Amino acid sequence: MFDDNAKDKVTKQLDAWDANMQKRYSDRVFDLRTDGGIPIKPVYSPADIDHLDYDVISMPGQYPYTRGIYPIMYQAQPWVMQQIHGHGLPEHARERMDYLAELGLTGYGETRSYNLVFDQVCKFGYDPDNPEVGDLVGLVGVNMTTLDDYDRLLKGLDLERTAIVLNQGIHSMIALAFFIIYGEQQGVPKEKLRGNTMNWLYKGWMTDLEMYPPKPAFMIMSNFIRWCSRNMPRWNTTNIVSYFAEEAGGTPVQEAAMAMSISIALTEACIAAGCQPDEFLPRFGFQIALGSDIFEHVAKIRAMRRLWATINRERFGAQDPHSMTIRCHSQTSAVSLTAQQPMVNIVRSAYHALVGVLAGVNGMTINAYDEALGIPTDESLMLAVRTHQVAQYETGMPNVTDPLAGSYYIEWLTDRIYHDAMDYIEKIEQQGGFIKGWESGWLRNELANSAYEWRRRIDSGEKVVVGLNKFQSSVHRKAQLYKIDPKVKEVAIERVKRYRAERGMESERAAALESLKVACEGVLDNHKADFMPALIECARARSTVEEMASAMKGVFGWGSVY
Amino acid sequence: MKPMKSEDKIRILLSKNKMDVHDRGIRYLARKLQEAGFEVILTRHGLIDEVVNIAEQEDVNVIGLSFSAGGHISACLRLQQLLKERGMTDKRVIVGGIIPDDDIPDLEETGVQGVFGAGSSADEAVAFINSMFRGEKLLRP
Repeated sequence: MFDDNAKDKVTKQLDAWDANMQKRYSDRVFDLRTDGGIPIKPVYSPADIDHLDYDVISMPGQYPYTRGIYPIMYQAQPWVMQQIHGHGLPEHARERMDYLAELGLTGYGETRSYNLVFDQVCKFGYDPDNPEVGDLVGLVGVNMTTLDDYDRLLKGLDLERTAIVLNQGIHSMIALAFFIIYGEQQGVPKEKLRGNTMNWLYKGWMTDLEMYPPKPAFMIMSNFIRWCSRNMPRWNTTNIVSYFAEEAGGTPVQEAAMAMSISIALTEACIAAGCQPDEFLPRFGFQIALGSDIFEHVAKIRAMRRLWATINRERFGAQDPHSMTIRCHSQTSAVSLTAQQPMVNIVRSAYHALVGVLAGVNGMTINAYDEALGIPTDESLMLAVRTHQVAQYETGMPNVTDPLAGSYYIEWLTDRIYHDAMDYIEKIEQQGGFIKGWESGWLRNELANSAYEWRRRIDSGEKVVVGLNKFQSSVHRKAQLYKIDPKVKEVAIERVKRYRAERGMESERAAALESLKVACEGVLDNHKADFMPALIECARARSTVEEMASAMKGVFGWGSVY
Repeated sequence: MKPMKSEDKIRILLSKNKMDVHDRGIRYLARKLQEAGFEVILTRHGLIDEVVNIAEQEDVNVIGLSFSAGGHISACLRLQQLLKERGMTDKRVIVGGIIPDDDIPDLEETGVQGVFGAGSSADEAVAFINSMFRGEKLLRP
């Protein structure tokens, strides 16, 4: 990267630096590592990036997009304050949506955006009166079981100018089916709807939860992507949530590599379903962790931009720049927060948010300080929103795009993580790819080993967690906890029972559910059918979440891989 | 002469609801408990009844439930009720995960003997479990 004259100067300076180090610190060894375990030096110099070709850094908005997916970033479009929310009944969730709007949350361009999380009951495809759901109704997400719930939640919102993230986890397609019918009823055709589904059916790799089995899961996801790509041009089909890899214990390199590996497997599945990469890659999105080692996570995100662009162009022949520009939603690391001295989490989350801003993410969820204890109170949520706003309006950071570019450390670390991740992706390929890595438990074990190592370092004191293993305090200020309305489950059950009793449309619904089963069988038969049209008819015929999910589970299978 | 079995090992059932996603804590604990010499069975459950069935089948000494998404009090109430009905009140119950301090007295009312909330160390859990059985002989038919 540097000419001989510059190299000479640098060499002289380094020699002088070495001599200085010998003089001052000859008796000390500085054994430094990033939190993810990459050995690092106390100082970096031009010599550390001389091996880099300037092309791999380039400019923002130019391949390989290391510096950003657009030519300028926050000067044109600030990161979106995409706070997650969702609890209780639809009207509780709507209250909080209105509160967030009051606090100043907006969206991309002229739209308003909501990042809605559904409860575990919905996510796993159950109705609230199923005995197995216990007390989970409305606890860590909103319960949305019927079409009426969409009306309760969305009444009065301008759907053409509102983007909704429908985070019903692996059953987001059911939420989309309901949302499409609701939109129709409001006079908004599905082509005009904006928002995101998660399409998280690959998520079973990390846990022993019941899921759709791996191979059917990829057929469902690719079938869904194919249908959405051809029918809903404004819809973001898939969220690749590498955040969960970090939360489960993964290092930044593992997080980056696993994200790419999922994207690769999905791309291959969509190609097998008859799609061209440029048809669907532009509507993928990522959800990336913002962790405590500030520069390591910044470098990871820059490396992920370069990884996704390179893989899609070189491996899959993508040509549309939108297929190479990774859109990054992000979330501050929850696993780094403590239940002890919870107010310290405000500080942690602000540092995590700093990572997002410096890395140039497109959207961010900043965890509230009581994240380790429950869902946010109004006060803790407000503080999280204010954290965004101070960063956006007071710090000056949004004035310059990718300000850390050219830093010897950052460029060295970005390139290092890029290569380490490529090596790890190759390791996953040697297991037979993501799907095999999932089925065999190899990926899960990798994360468990990292999680074990993380905890070992904390227990030994090598890794300090302020307030937990150092600087403990017996003066424990208790955080005010959010209390869910205890009637939520009762009301949700009463509503779904009434819905079933009053909905009519018996024959339409029976036919729709039957056609859903047939369509699902068609999906498994090399995508001879699309399941979404049938699912939409089930929503139109007033099915419940569990009725629709059960039809799907019956065909695709459901259980734990491990 | 009867063959030697692991009669003296304390047997622990660790279980999480099958919709409770975050399991790195319980998996880490399971590994540490095994390293400490306990027999550990790790499962998922839908209804608490399943936990009690396995606890009986596997003849465990301790039942450990983990919660990251709430529902702990009603789950422990149900567990207490079932253990009473099935004459299994000799089984000790411990709980872990995201447990607000304010809920600990209510949990103790249901017979929970140890609560290991966010940040607890595996060593604490090991010491506590050992202390629950100090001086007892774990006889098996």
